[in-house]
Amino acid sequence: MAKVVVDAMAMQRALTRITYEIIERNKGIDDLIILGIKTRGIYLAQRIASRLKQLENATVPVGELDVSKYRDDIEHDSQENDPKVTVAKIDFPITDKKVILVDDVLYTGRTIRAAMSAIMDLGRPQQINLAVLVDRGHRELPIRADFVGKNIPSSQSERIKVSVSEIDGQDSVEIIDR
Amino acid sequence: MTQRFLILEDGSSYPGEGFGAGATTTGELVFNTSMLGYQEIVTNQIYHNQIIVFSQPTIGSIGITHDSYESILPTAKGMVVRDVSDISKNRQRSLSLDQFLKQHNIPGISGIDTRHLIRQIQKNGTMKGSIVDVDDDHAFDQLHATVLTNQQVAQVATPVPYPNPNSGYNVVVVDFGLKHGILRQLSRRKCNVTVLPWNTDAQSIISLDPDGVILSTGPGSPLDLPESVLEMIRTIQERIPLFAIGLGHELFALANGAEVTALPVAHHGASHPIRKIITNEIIYALEGQEFVVDGESVDRDRLITTYRDLIDSSIQGLRHRDYPAFSVQFFPDGAPGPNDSVDLFDEFIEIMGTREELHG
Repeated sequence: MAKVVVDAMAMQRALTRITYEIIERNKGIDDLIILGIKTRGIYLAQRIASRLKQLENATVPVGELDVSKYRDDIEHDSQENDPKVTVAKIDFPITDKKVILVDDVLYTGRTIRAAMSAIMDLGRPQQINLAVLVDRGHRELPIRADFVGKNIPSSQSERIKVSVSEIDGQDSVEIIDR
Repeated sequence: MTQRFLILEDGSSYPGEGFGAGATTTGELVFNTSMLGYQEIVTNQIYHNQIIVFSQPTIGSIGITHDSYESILPTAKGMVVRDVSDISKNRQRSLSLDQFLKQHNIPGISGIDTRHLIRQIQKNGTMKGSIVDVDDDHAFDQLHATVLTNQQVAQVATPVPYPNPNSGYNVVVVDFGLKHGILRQLSRRKCNVTVLPWNTDAQSIISLDPDGVILSTGPGSPLDLPESVLEMIRTIQERIPLFAIGLGHELFALANGAEVTALPVAHHGASHPIRKIITNEIIYALEGQEFVVDGESVDRDRLITTYRDLIDSSIQGLRHRDYPAFSVQFFPDGAPGPNDSVDLFDEFIEIMGTREELHG
């Protein structure tokens, strides 16, 4: 059974609010870069960047991170047991930059830890902030988000499904009973 | 129906038929282009001291309804329409516009060529006018001699605090002559509201420990209000999420160093498309403004422009760079519609939610 907890309007508002909070917290957008994680985090990152461009008339670089191979909570079979990070499309320097890491759902924190390791391998940013559309709790590492679209307290038996119109045909967050 | 006259400062006289109260009235003439919502418009306290000319040709066709009051005691000075409908029955209540205006001692005049009249106002700018029984020299002398107050806010805003209890976020509404739509939207979102008089100081607001503060709509010029109001805003915005609407928006802009000037022709209506800059969407909203934030004067290091009118590119929304404080010139409360921007109240609720999680 699926229950919509964030509809399209609410998702737009959440991204709008996060964008303003980023400006507030960073006193503008100088030295800012945005890195989206994997599939849906990348689209959310692009939407935040396009909002910043609308408001500030300046382009904030957007990079993409694929950290699936870096996660220590996925069991790999022997052929795929390659620890190398797949980092897609970060064609700008990150040293001394303010990084906004963007993901759709914050859960155990392991994805974010993996992403931070990947970023650190590439350079030394001035700071890393985390923006997530949904924080569902159940952290296994001491990680918290700086910008949260919506807190959704959930049970571990539930699945949180984020859809974005770019690939899913709609904007929504659903809770699905497994 | 009795013959009455609308006379103007420029010496012109328009014969018509009286409806509503039979009193002689004098006010500033403004025209409203909204297709609907005459009850919300005539009860909106921004029209204190003003005679409203409606461009929509037939007014009154759904009578008066319970859920469309924007104030308890309307203080508009009069209504000018081409055609008034005396329909008094709707599914909720039996009260016609004519009866309603009689109850509140507001005169109306119908049978006026409102299109011609509106062109005159557009050409000449704001004018005083009177609705009178006889358009003789004496009436014109009286009109010229009448000085309208500039203390509109003090006339219509609540002089004492009052609560509107509920179970959600604690919200303080600073009342500059609020329209009920603001309270209605907060009520729908279960906010526990305290309405305070317009001249309340920051410390009294802070001592109520609100999750958010709203600066309401209201009549008149923000420049006629004392500097202490701007000081209150500067103190509050640093500490508490702030949402300012209409006159509140103009004050928020002034408090943050921008300038506010009078529009050559006031905007009253819902026909201007407005660009929401952050997402590049076009929305429609009810506007009711005689003043505008001067775009040149906005300090980009302090304020971000968030909405612009697409017809005259006037500023319709601002947001502070450093604090969760934002404002809109138009009325987002959907009373009357359009409802395109009602979710600004959701945005306000969500900002209060974020603050709560940060500070526990």
